[in-house]
Amino acid sequence: MADSLNFHFTPVDKARPDEENLHAKASTDVTDVIQAIQEQFPEAITEVVVYAGERTIFIAGEVFLEVCTALKEELGFTYLVDLAGVDRFQEEAPRYEVYYCFVNLQKGKRLRIKVRVEEDDAVLPSITGLFKAADWNERECFDMLGIRFEGHPDLRRMFMPEDFEYHPQRKEFPLLGIPGSLPLPPRTPEGELTMDPFAAAHSGSPAKSYQEPAENDEN
Amino acid sequence: MDSATGYLTTTVDAVVNWARSNSLMPMPMGLACCAIEMMAFGGPKYDVGRFGSEAMRFSPRQADLMIVAGWCSYKMAHAIRRVWDQMADPKWCIAMGACASSGGMHRCYGVVQGIDNFMPVDVYIPGCPPRPEAVIHALMDIQEKVRNEYSIAKDYASGPKKSAVEPMNLEILTSDGRTTVGGV
Amino acid sequence: MPVKSSFHDQENIFSFWPRHNETILKRLESKDAWLSTRRGTEVSRVKDALEHEMTLNIGPQHPATHGVLRCMVKLDGELIEKCVLDIGYLHRGVEKLAESKTYQEFMPYTDRMDYLAPYANNVAWCMAVEKLANVEIPERAQWIRMIMCELARISSHLLWLGVGLMDAGAVSVFLWTFQGREDLYSIFDEVSGARFTVSHSRIGGLATDLSSKAIDMIRDFAIRYEEVIKGWQKLLNRNRIWIDRNKDVGTVSADEAIALGLTGSNLRGSGVPYDIRTFEPYLKYDEVDFIIPLREEGDCLARYHIRVEEMLESIKIIHQCLDRLPEGPIRADDAKKTYPSKNEVYYSMEGMIHDFMYTETGIAPPEGAAAYHAIESPKGELGFYLESDGTGCPWRARINAPSFTNLQGLESMMEGHPVADIVVLIGSIDPVMGEADK
Ligand code: SF4
Repeated sequence: MADSLNFHFTPVDKARPDEENLHAKASTDVTDVIQAIQEQFPEAITEVVVYAGERTIFIAGEVFLEVCTALKEELGFTYLVDLAGVDRFQEEAPRYEVYYCFVNLQKGKRLRIKVRVEEDDAVLPSITGLFKAADWNERECFDMLGIRFEGHPDLRRMFMPEDFEYHPQRKEFPLLGIPGSLPLPPRTPEGELTMDPFAAAHSGSPAKSYQEPAENDEN
Repeated sequence: MDSATGYLTTTVDAVVNWARSNSLMPMPMGLACCAIEMMAFGGPKYDVGRFGSEAMRFSPRQADLMIVAGWCSYKMAHAIRRVWDQMADPKWCIAMGACASSGGMHRCYGVVQGIDNFMPVDVYIPGCPPRPEAVIHALMDIQEKVRNEYSIAKDYASGPKKSAVEPMNLEILTSDGRTTVGGV
Repeated sequence: MPVKSSFHDQENIFSFWPRHNETILKRLESKDAWLSTRRGTEVSRVKDALEHEMTLNIGPQHPATHGVLRCMVKLDGELIEKCVLDIGYLHRGVEKLAESKTYQEFMPYTDRMDYLAPYANNVAWCMAVEKLANVEIPERAQWIRMIMCELARISSHLLWLGVGLMDAGAVSVFLWTFQGREDLYSIFDEVSGARFTVSHSRIGGLATDLSSKAIDMIRDFAIRYEEVIKGWQKLLNRNRIWIDRNKDVGTVSADEAIALGLTGSNLRGSGVPYDIRTFEPYLKYDEVDFIIPLREEGDCLARYHIRVEEMLESIKIIHQCLDRLPEGPIRADDAKKTYPSKNEVYYSMEGMIHDFMYTETGIAPPEGAAAYHAIESPKGELGFYLESDGTGCPWRARINAPSFTNLQGLESMMEGHPVADIVVLIGSIDPVMGEADK
């Protein structure tokens, strides 16, 4: 019954890697790099996904750090452009993915690698030792998804205040936030913190910047 | 006004309010995109100096009108409230743009859905971003409000008929020497 | 309520978010002062530490921080020994918001990221979606996008110049550059109806064509401002005060810049010729003739020179685009992938339905598709990494914001400079907090 009700307005297409993409760039053709990695670490690459002329290379978590070292020192990918986490939110085992985007400035190549991370043990080795630029990005990833980076010198939250307890980019976190998780300032100078995010709508009277006299003030 | 003797009578409130309303010093709480329109409002084309508010004061102690321009996150809200509390009375506040007024398009976990959830607001400006003309209109509304308020003689805080306050004696110099005019 | 006393401590003005402040201070203490290692000795300590050491908090509300950046600096005398930056005061979670919007619906949010050059952000987003869904863009739309992107670059650099000079003490230039921005605003106003939050680009093309008045205005602007910018160069290039404030301040070598991940003018100021316009030419950048200004010094002055020269190059590009602007449609003709034209919507039933469907569901890239597309925004490489699950909303939209990456380099740039250089350094990095905070 439930299946029969499950229809889509738009038919969902599958990605076709062979289709020619109008916006594909020459810089994302990295077959030689894949070969080089495969030669050096035969077990490292678990999967390669091709779409729009771009290759997403999935690397096994155990050898990830060694692959990055090789990328930087031997293959010339010295410039880290981007690093972020993705929440797959699926039943099967690895829930998170972390993607890295490297650039080889000499050869003009762009490379994307991905590492899968388990939910119960969301830890990855940090690459800040190799790429200083990963510092804030890893902090951001930790803040947003709660993936810990082992060996990061300073794994604090990036955007949210330290008093916040959740990781907002996770799919189960509601878009509008969890009421009461972040306090608002008091509505009067001496007042208490407001835990209700819609204080104005619930309390009725707007806050005033001055104190009005009492009705029957005898003085 | 009596043109022969060269003086005019009015209430102190009216004079003070007139002076106050034409020299509002804004404290630009420029947070996001609306702050750029606020710069335009202070810039050469719209020239808010015509309304006596060109002196933007970045120190809250010297300002009496706060323009909150931009979305306000929970993290920033406490800083805004602190700055607002540091401003000397009397003070007014403009919520500029949809974000400051109601959260606007940013209906998500990080943004306070309207700054009136934690601080008083006198004028709301709709728009995303409001054009500088709209900000000038809001400024004129604030001026209107200031002109119609009690100020010195009749203070909001003490109420209109507070007899404990000594009546003010003003000395006004007229053409025939010093005359003391009674309390206002 | 017990929270209150610790949260709003009247003694200490920066006591809101107590745990947050504590961690920042802890980080400031534990951070390695590379200054001492560089000098080869311990930083000299005088007995009375109070007189010589100071922890200073700048921001989040400070006019020189260009928004709501917060710097915690540890001073030794007047020298910055360590610095910890704190951002996130404008965080609203656009990446999360994108997951519940259709692709077209999200585009106005990109206006509000780098709000000094919204058109460039629109184009970046649209091109990323176009790559993901393999949508063709008509010729004319590509040229118009290029013109508008270059105008956006000029408008961003104009604000940077005015505000940067104001930080250094020259208020009058701000008024001049803002006049220039007002001229640009009137162009954007003519083109799209909004002064700077334009939202004019559409997936697969543009919302409207340029009117002939708009083309005249753009040409007029390009002709006039070439002279004006050269005039500013005359004023500033040999200005003693400006040079003294900027020369050898915040020097970054090429290797350092790459390691720190700087992008845009900050990277090119250190002599790394990385510009997406030539690295991965998008639109028609491979068909126009322009150079990429490059300096080797890596200090604030180099970045200044690069930005001003970039404005002149932009004007050159605009002239070429206007000359070569072809006739033709401005939006792809494919009802599944783009909006139908307004004529179709008003006068045909199919057009109406397509318009409705496009607003409701929008473009649906194939399931499992993932693509990264970057453009050279005025601040640097602005990239979007999109993953699709086959529906009308992205599964994951990652924003690679140039201001974020640039700000990360600021921390180490500041260390070792006098406290007065903070404002110049922040200005020369040119961050926009709306973009850095996502
Ligand atoms: S109202 Fe619009 S322009 Fe103003 S801060 Fe909000 S999003 Fe930006």
